[in-house]
Amino acid sequence: MTLRRRPVRIAAVLVGACLGIAACNRGDGGAPTVALVLKTLNNPFFVEMEQGAREAADSLGIELVVQAPEREIDVEKQMQIVENLLQRRVDALLITPSGSREIVPAVVKANEAAIPVVVVDTRVDAPALEEAGARISSFIGSDNVDGGRMAGRFVAERLGGQGRVAVLEGIPGHETGDSRLTGFREVLAEHPGLEIVSSQTANWERDQAFNVTQNVLQSHPDLDAIFAANDVMALGAVEAVAAAGRTGEIVIVGFDAQDDARIAIREERMDATIAQNPREMGRLAVISADRLLRGETVPAEQPVRIELVTGQQTGAVEAPAREE
Amino acid sequence: MALPRTKLLHGREVGTLAGLLALCAALWVATPHFATVSNLVNVVEQSAIIGIVAVGMTFVILTGGIDLSVGSIVALSGVALGTAHEAGLPIAAAAAVGLTVGLACGLGNGALITLGRLPPFIATLGMMSVARGIALMLSDGRPISGYPASFRALATGHVLGIPFPVILMLAIYAVAHFLLTRTLLGRYTYAIGGNEEASALSGINVRAYKAAAYAIAGLLSAVTSMLLVARLNSAQPIAGIMYELDAIAAVVIGGTSLLGGSGTVIGTLIGALIMGVLRNGLNLLGVSSYLQQVAIGSVIIVAVLVDMMLRRRARRAAE
Amino acid sequence: MIPSASEPHPRPPEPIVLRMFGIRKAFPGVVALDGVDLEVRAGEVHVLLGENGAGKSTLMKVLSGAHAMDAGRIELAGSEVAISGPRHARDLGIGIIYQELALVPDLSAAENVFLGREPRRGPGLVDRGAMVAASRRILQTLGASFDPGLPVRVLSIAQRQLVEVARALSLEARILVMDEPTSALTERETGALFATIRRLTSQGVAVIYISHRLDEIFEIGDRVTVLRDGRRVATREVDGADRRELVRLMADREIDERVPRPAARRGDELLRVEGLGRHGVLHDVSFRVHAGEIVGFAGLLGSGRTEVARAIFGIDPHDAGRVFMRGRPARISSPRDAIRAGIGLLTEDRKRQGLVLELSIRENIVLPVLGSMSRFGIVSRRMERERASKHAAGLRIKTPSLEQVVLNLSGGNQQKVVLAKWLACEVDVLILDEPTRGIDVGSKQEVYQLIHRLASEGVGIVLISSELPEIVGLADRILVMRAGRVVAELSGDEASQESVLAHAVGA
Repeated sequence: MTLRRRPVRIAAVLVGACLGIAACNRGDGGAPTVALVLKTLNNPFFVEMEQGAREAADSLGIELVVQAPEREIDVEKQMQIVENLLQRRVDALLITPSGSREIVPAVVKANEAAIPVVVVDTRVDAPALEEAGARISSFIGSDNVDGGRMAGRFVAERLGGQGRVAVLEGIPGHETGDSRLTGFREVLAEHPGLEIVSSQTANWERDQAFNVTQNVLQSHPDLDAIFAANDVMALGAVEAVAAAGRTGEIVIVGFDAQDDARIAIREERMDATIAQNPREMGRLAVISADRLLRGETVPAEQPVRIELVTGQQTGAVEAPAREE
Repeated sequence: MALPRTKLLHGREVGTLAGLLALCAALWVATPHFATVSNLVNVVEQSAIIGIVAVGMTFVILTGGIDLSVGSIVALSGVALGTAHEAGLPIAAAAAVGLTVGLACGLGNGALITLGRLPPFIATLGMMSVARGIALMLSDGRPISGYPASFRALATGHVLGIPFPVILMLAIYAVAHFLLTRTLLGRYTYAIGGNEEASALSGINVRAYKAAAYAIAGLLSAVTSMLLVARLNSAQPIAGIMYELDAIAAVVIGGTSLLGGSGTVIGTLIGALIMGVLRNGLNLLGVSSYLQQVAIGSVIIVAVLVDMMLRRRARRAAE
Repeated sequence: MIPSASEPHPRPPEPIVLRMFGIRKAFPGVVALDGVDLEVRAGEVHVLLGENGAGKSTLMKVLSGAHAMDAGRIELAGSEVAISGPRHARDLGIGIIYQELALVPDLSAAENVFLGREPRRGPGLVDRGAMVAASRRILQTLGASFDPGLPVRVLSIAQRQLVEVARALSLEARILVMDEPTSALTERETGALFATIRRLTSQGVAVIYISHRLDEIFEIGDRVTVLRDGRRVATREVDGADRRELVRLMADREIDERVPRPAARRGDELLRVEGLGRHGVLHDVSFRVHAGEIVGFAGLLGSGRTEVARAIFGIDPHDAGRVFMRGRPARISSPRDAIRAGIGLLTEDRKRQGLVLELSIRENIVLPVLGSMSRFGIVSRRMERERASKHAAGLRIKTPSLEQVVLNLSGGNQQKVVLAKWLACEVDVLILDEPTRGIDVGSKQEVYQLIHRLASEGVGIVLISSELPEIVGLADRILVMRAGRVVAELSGDEASQESVLAHAVGA
């Protein structure tokens, strides 16, 4: 008796939830649907990219669907999302791959469904793509190696070509992080006076960066500069340096030019960051999709401008002190 | 009609199954893309990953334990396969290496818990970190890519239009169901979870059968990693993060008690499908990823809440 | 022995504090209570008597708010109440001590006594000193001398039961329900409990007392209500009631309450224990058990009887002595070894050690022998079913089917399942530790008959019991233990209740 009531209840809850969600999501008919699959939405970088994409989609009359796994590194779940969107027959797929190689099978599936794919921010591994016989329509992104070089030149200049440097890496195996580090190390190698005394991962996270920096400061109290492969980690380093009472003594450089980082630079707790333009990436991606759907061609490579942000130019913070 | 065993009373599973069907019905109404053959196959295929891990988790939870290390074992087995393959081993041998590593990790858990007398939570928490660390060390933190098509067919192949991962998952569930209902291993698993002391006093080799549950969990994690590597054409040291929680969720949604001693793999299969259908449906509906987390979490809570309420009532009615 | 009842004291009828009318409660498949009436006066000890499943515990669960009744009416002091739950019942002055202990093992005795009602010292601060002091006072009135600051885990079952009693007393209940409170108590503790009950009743507290021990009923009871199959059969004044009649009312059949003495037929030696010792626990315990023999172990709680059983069965290690089975040394370091050597142990705590409650009767019965019914690890259901029903049949377990989950059975029936489990095991030597604790008279008789039957089939029985009539009546030889030693071996005419007790207490 009692056991039999269970199905009814669960059913009621689930039906209610789904109908509720469905009611909010019933799209209109004619407009083309474009899906933007991000690495995550727990990072302001991708939130900005989504905003840029939305603005473009609204002005072009495109229905935009944005989806992302909960965790930035979850390649399998990103693949599932792509599969599910293909089931939904979106008209074009814009994707920031969680893994440069792991995304290839998803691209293959999109190709099979004859849905154009535009890759944003993180490159797909070219040999893997070729081996699988897959094809993408365009890559939109900044040159991370060049950004890393920019950061390296800044550190070299500030330290006068002489000093000890610590590096905070992202999760190993990420194309973006690896490229930034490659560029950075390349420049430092040109300056024999600069020594990388520590290079450890903080897994893209602020609290881990805090801990790693504290540890590095213990073992290398004479540290002169820190380069973090993203701003989230750089901000963790800023806090750790402040906790050690050494704000201003150690040069800290991040990557991404998030608002928090810009503010830290303005307040002279941090020294520089590399500005990508995720909003522009999102906008360009949607415009590319629109052109592809109209049968036009788009360039295979669409670089987005990258720039160094230092104390002199932080006026670029678009929002007031806090936007959330 | 003779029910084979009271504990497998199908009432509970019928309940969970009805929940799944209701969810499907709701999605069928909400979106035209859900109830297509290709999407349904797609959903089951996606559920295979967590579904297989959850079988091992069911064994462990039935003994009254928990295994937090399955996600890390997925990563380590995959990396072991990748490393072996990179070192020149033929893919079949490399796969055997991966499976062996997973089994060894599970046996390690079992030894720590039975011989070392560590609480399962602690032992597998340690293994979670150790296995992950070794996976990162072995691979230098980098994914190991590039596998022969014959191996990748594990994930991409079809038999009579049914994707191979689905067949593999169903086969594993069938074997697990048989083990739990018809064999010594199964009976002892339930007995140990229900009352470890009484089981020992009945002469059951409690240590061996407890360790076996963790070994099964380790082995099935390795099987899952094979699927994952084949699917993504890449062995990742950071694969499988939080799989333990998804697997636990599938098990408890399926009606298995975290206290051990009661539950079925059929329930777990339905639990895994509920999670898979939910994720798929929310993707199809274009629900924001923030709201998706809320929805999935709520379903876990509501399912277990309702289940516990009914169980309490049934128990009170039974006096 | 228990001090005998005080002089007759004809009391004027006290006011009625509790009336239950036509109480009905059905569970899926069974009507547990079918229109039961009960009337309890202030200051009386009202005994509820009945076999397993007669409805005694269910009736009390209705009274304590643990079960909602399907029909009926409850009046407290003349006005109708609707008891909404255990907490409400407590607030109404109904205290209950359940048969199955419900204590938090890691909290101290004092914390358990005041659980949920801790004396406060300021907001959120527990007045530990006051709590311990109050607990000690109550426990002392019960004749208990242990430290109330000790965690319950380290207490014996008897001591735990006293903690339960103390908890109920601390509630200052007007109606106190005691469900077999003495089943694990020693004579001295029982005497102290009865003294407490008498003091409570003289203050006007009504006590509803559930017990299977007829002696106790005549000792402490004022009136007795007999339940059978969910109905009230009779209510009698205890003075002038006839024991045999009460037994007949309960069972609706004549049961010889006395234990028949079997003729001893010694066979070959099965078990020989030589100089068994464990530091601080057991000292130089030696004995033999022959085929067809019932060897009794008597002694007070804590005298080492259970410890002997645990050591032989491989649960606890021993640091001296040897065990032989059929003349060959047996290496036993786990229950598995013991079972393989042909020894079975029925433990005193059936819920914790004897049964897997979520498994069915069948599954519990065949648990130790499942290995022999399987091939390549696959269990033969046919053999399983045959073996289980073969051994369950002789025990008259009240259940619709062997597929019933053990959790749903009454205490007596659960004990029968544990017995059936060891029968199915077909061991040579069966150690029974308090095999009749907490089960009703009818089931007890069945257990006794079973012990006889096993002995006559050539099984060697080791019987550990705190019930003197039981052990004296059943055993061929009685070993009396005190402080971890065997202090006497009695047989034949020297084995009387008085002589056993004298050796046990060291008189």
